[in-house]
Parts: sequence; C-alpha cells; structure tokens
Amino acid sequence: MMKRVLMLLIAALLLGGADVSAAGTGIVIDGSTTVGPIAKSFAAYYMKKTGVAVTVSESGSGNGAKSLINGACDIAAMSRDMKPQEIAAARKMGVNPVQHVAALDAIAIIVNPANPVRGLTRAQIAGIYTGRYTNWQQVGGPNARIVVIQRESNSGTQESFKTLVTGKASQITRLAETQASNGAVKNRVSTTRTSIGFIGMGFVDSSVRPIPVDGVVPTVESVRSGTYPLWRKLYFYTNGVPVGQLKEFLSLSATPDGMRIISELGYISR
Amino acid sequence: MNLGTRKVLDRSFTSLGIGSIVVMALALLVVITPIVYNGLGAVFFQGTIEHRKLLQDEFHRGDKAQLEREIEESGRYRMEAYRMLGEFEAELEGMDPVKARQYRMQLGPVKTALQGLLGPIPGEEPGILTRFRYGQTRWEKAEEKLHELLYESKWDYSDPNVMAKEYFVRRAESFEGTSLLPLFSYVEQNAEKMLLPRFTAYWGFLFDKSVDAHIFGGIWPEIQGTFFLAIGAMLFAFPLGVVAAIYFTEYAKDNLFTSMLRSANSTLAGVPSIVFGLFGLAFFINTLKVSESKSVLAGALTLAIMILPTIIRAAEEAILSVPKTYKEASLGLGSTKWNTIVTVILPAALPGIITGGVISLGRAAGETAPIIFTAAVSVGSAIGLADVLSSPTPALSWNIYNLASEHEMASEIRHVQYGMVLALVSIVLLLNLSAVLLRARITKKLKG
Repeated sequence: MMKRVLMLLIAALLLGGADVSAAGTGIVIDGSTTVGPIAKSFAAYYMKKTGVAVTVSESGSGNGAKSLINGACDIAAMSRDMKPQEIAAARKMGVNPVQHVAALDAIAIIVNPANPVRGLTRAQIAGIYTGRYTNWQQVGGPNARIVVIQRESNSGTQESFKTLVTGKASQITRLAETQASNGAVKNRVSTTRTSIGFIGMGFVDSSVRPIPVDGVVPTVESVRSGTYPLWRKLYFYTNGVPVGQLKEFLSLSATPDGMRIISELGYISR
Repeated sequence: MNLGTRKVLDRSFTSLGIGSIVVMALALLVVITPIVYNGLGAVFFQGTIEHRKLLQDEFHRGDKAQLEREIEESGRYRMEAYRMLGEFEAELEGMDPVKARQYRMQLGPVKTALQGLLGPIPGEEPGILTRFRYGQTRWEKAEEKLHELLYESKWDYSDPNVMAKEYFVRRAESFEGTSLLPLFSYVEQNAEKMLLPRFTAYWGFLFDKSVDAHIFGGIWPEIQGTFFLAIGAMLFAFPLGVVAAIYFTEYAKDNLFTSMLRSANSTLAGVPSIVFGLFGLAFFINTLKVSESKSVLAGALTLAIMILPTIIRAAEEAILSVPKTYKEASLGLGSTKWNTIVTVILPAALPGIITGGVISLGRAAGETAPIIFTAAVSVGSAIGLADVLSSPTPALSWNIYNLASEHEMASEIRHVQYGMVLALVSIVLLLNLSAVLLRARITKKLKG
C-alpha cells in the first residue's frame, strides 16, 4: 500500500513537469522587488506566447547585480543604475553589463490614510528622514511621533530615494525602521497611523495615501511631464547585447502589449 | 521533609504540568485553527461564474455547455446594468460641461469598482493581465467589491491636529437625480444573479499552475518544488549521515581529532539556517558552479548540509542504543566487523535512523533561508525531473514569504497564502506521520 502511494507520488512529480522540460533553456531573472511585478507579468506573457520557461526571483537590486556579475542570471532587474564598483566587478569577471530601460516609476511618499498632513516639501521629507523632524506637528500634522520606515541597504528604491531626497551622503536617522520590500513597507504604513514610508507607485493601493510632494500628487501625467520630482528609471541589465529570445523578451517593454502591461500595473511606460 | 509539604509540592507540580500542557494545546489551537480554516478556504469556497470562466479559459475544465447557459443567464442582468451605465454616459454628453466633468470624475471609481466586480465592461478594451480580464472569482471577495461600488471611503481631515477617522458615503448620493442612480440599487439586489455563486471545491488549487503571479490558479509548482528540494536534500544527506554515524560509533578512536569532529558536528547543528543559505550561494554556485544559476541541485545540497548534523546525531544515538550483546554475539560467531555492522547493527538501529531522517526531511521542506539564494524563485513553472540539475523552482516556504510581503496584491490573495501554509504544514505533518508508521512497521518486523 505504502509503496503504491509512493510510486503514484513519484509518477505525479515526473509527469507534472514533463511538458515544460522540453522547452529547453529558459530565462532567469533576478533582482529588484520594485521591478518584480513587471518582470513577473512579462514572464507570464512571454511563457504563454513562446513556451520558453522564465523564472523570476525578487531579492533586491543589489542581489540582482551580484547575480548578473556571477553569471547566475540572464537578466538583472534593477530600480537604480549599476554602481561604478559593480560595473568594475562585472568587468573583472568578464561580464559586460548592458542597460535596458524597462519603465519609469515614481517613488510615492506614503502615510497612513488617517494622517491629515496635506503634503510635504522635499526638504521636509529629507528633514524627517535625517532626524531633524520627529513629530508630525513640525510638518503640519497632529501631535504624534513620526515612525520612519526605510528600505534595506540592498534596495534600489532606497538608493533612488536617497539620491532624490536626502542626498547620497546623508545619514538616515537611526530611529528609522527597515523593511525588506515594497510590500512590507506598505503593510507597515497601512497598520501604523503615524508612520511614513516610500514605495514604488505600482504598489500604492487604497490602504495607504500617497502625499503630494512639493504640491504635486504622483500620477502618470505628473511623472511624464516631469512636475512630480521623485521618479527614476527601472532597468533590465544583461550581459552583453542580448540576442535571440533574450532580445525578444527585453523588447517587450516597447511593444503595445508590453506597454499596456506596464501601465496596467501602475508603472509608466517609456 | 514533612509529609504534608511533600504532598503539596507533588500536587502543585502535577497541576503545573497539566497547566503547561493545556497552555500548549491552546496555543496550538490558536495557531492551527486559522491556518486550517483559511487554508481550506483556498479549495472550498463560493465560486462565482468568473471562476468557472477562468477555469474554462485557462485549463479547459468544466462543463462548457452549462457555462454558456450560465453566461447567458447572468448576462441578462449584467446587460441591464451596462445599459444604465451607457444611458448615463449619453446623458453626460448633453450636460453642462462643467457639471459633466464633475460627474465624470466620480464615475471613474464607479466604473473601476464595477469592473472589479464583474470583469471588463463591454465596449471597453479588456486588460492584458489576467487579473483585469475577470471579475471576482470568489463570492466573499465579490461582496467586498460590491461594498466598494456602493460606498465611498472618505477620511475626515477637517482638523489637522488629530488623526482622521474613516467614514463611508453612499456613492448613490453623488448621482442623485441622474440616470445612474438606479444602477446602485440594481447591482446591490442582483449581484448574486450576475455572479451566480455556488459552492465550489477547487481541487485544482493543489494541481494547477499559478495564473498571473498567484492571483488565480493553483500552487502545484510550489508543492512539487518543495518535494524535489526535500527529497534531493535527503538523497545527499541520508547516506552521508549514516556513514558518518557508523564511523563515529564503530571506527573512530577517542582522540582529539574525533572529539573536534564531534563538537564541529554539534556546532553545525546550531548554525542559523541563513548562514547555510549564504554558504550554499558562495560555495555551490559561485565556487563549485554546480549549476549556472540557482537550481534545485544547489538548493538540495545546501539543505543537505543543513540537516546533516541532525541525521548524524540521530543515527549515532540509534546505533549506540543497539544492545552490545548483539554485536558481541555476531563477532563471537566469527563474523567480520563490517559484516556485523551491515547485517546486525544497522537493521536493529534502523527505526531510530529513519525517524531522524524523516524529521530532517520535514525540516528541509519547511526551511526558507537556505533556498532564498540557492534555489527558490517567486515565479516559475513546474519543472521536470530532467531539469533539477539546472533549473530553479518555486517552493512553498519561500513563496509564502513572498506572497506575504513582496506581492503587489498581497492583501487581495490572502486565501492563496493560507492555502500554501496549510499545504506546507500538511506535507510536514504527513512526513512525520509516515516516519511514525514506518518506525512501527520496522520495529514489528524486527521483533519477528
């Protein structure tokens, strides 16, 4: 009896994957959690169209770069530019990183919907994150301590935020809490009434409120026109100029379908 | 000690023991009940017609003729709602432009909510992403969407000095006096007829691939990946572990070297699993290059190293607990040492060895940290046995974490997450149960 169950199980395992294994070598994507939804949707779309297996891991921009340098992935998804040190490390390993813009993305500064604060200027946000302001009262809110949420050092969103808001060199306040993904930041902000965080625009939903920065609300139009100040490009990096199925996959972001997917996910197509 | 004091002490100890068991049972209940309840919700739920459409389109399952009848039946009610919407849009055309603009802004969320409830509105281009091509597949989610359609959530920001409170406004109020007004009560009354919910047992949740990043479909690739990783780890760790245990118990002399080995083994057992994960990445993938990228093989090897100490310890204990007389009798009859180990000691120790093995198997199935960098991906299809050497795989433990924290629609698909948790808990439980049964069987056999 036991043996039969075991045999059945093994047979099921073998059969389950049989259809995909014939597809040959697939595409491996690693990197940013911000680019994750685009990568996952492109993967599903491409797999359906061509049958090529595409796997996506979301381990952060920094890890994506490391993966590409070590030859462990075909495409590194990154929400920031590759740093000079990373490019140097790649060259040393014989990897030639080539940049492809996947989409544009706004960094939304989010607070709990209960927070009545009208909007913040970039200087105020920088003040909050560097520890100059510790109470919402100092920036036009109620009398409550500000719970500052940041991302981990591996995050491209964190890097972009620092470049755009506080300046690369400045130290984020030590009281800041670190969360490991866009989803985790959103979750924390939606459950903590006095918190502030930043996430990619594609992750914003009704559980948090994106606040106007310098008086501008992040929308597709305000990013396109350049009036919303906090936006960056999202990238796919490959080793060398891509050919074959990699090229086909990367060109998705310029096709009408690819652009639809990007805007449906809440990002901005190029 | 005074007899009375002893009795009191005795009793208080007994009650303390009972108390702690009760607390433990309650804690277990508190943990397990929501897992089982919500996890079963991933398979058994009130499925709407959208669920049946999805199954038909993606997996070609279900009764096509009946589905078409249902589509026609629900379509009649839907058409009526769409007609009201169309009528209002026509009315907007003829309205004062300033007023029309105001209404249009309020109409946007209404349309979004209606789309979320019923799927794409006819005449408008459906989305490319599967999540925008269907309405709500689950009735309890549909009820939430219906609430969103009927009520607008607002926050009272009038006093900037206090935290705002949420309140709900009927959307119908903002459309007073227009042709859209009847839509709200119509949809509210006929939502069930538009979605035709009925009890569904979606076994495909266990055996289907995921559709649109786990928003629809099942978790088969994850279940399969979990099995591959756990069994793969076992293939490496079990033989190695048993051999090492035999060496430790039968061959190793008591000197500095072996005692160092022993303490190294004990230390390994206490190393946090994330360290093994990073080690696996650095050693198996970057140094040895067992595979080009993350792969089941690299993950299994990493897990194998993680569970090796446990297996060695369990096997050692089991071998040591074999009565010395067995060995002496065998050697006394002229058998060689190796022969004695294989034919006498190992069979007698087998129940203990297997128990240790299967408990480690459960641990390998449940660990997340070692496979983050070596094997797990958040989206990928089920892989065949031929691909384990080179392909990464989704796995339950990692995808539970991914759905909980990283997924962009995490709060919408809690049922999938709970389903994965229940699947993982059941797999580990099943493995442990099979260990108990196997052990009982072997012990019975040994007794003759």
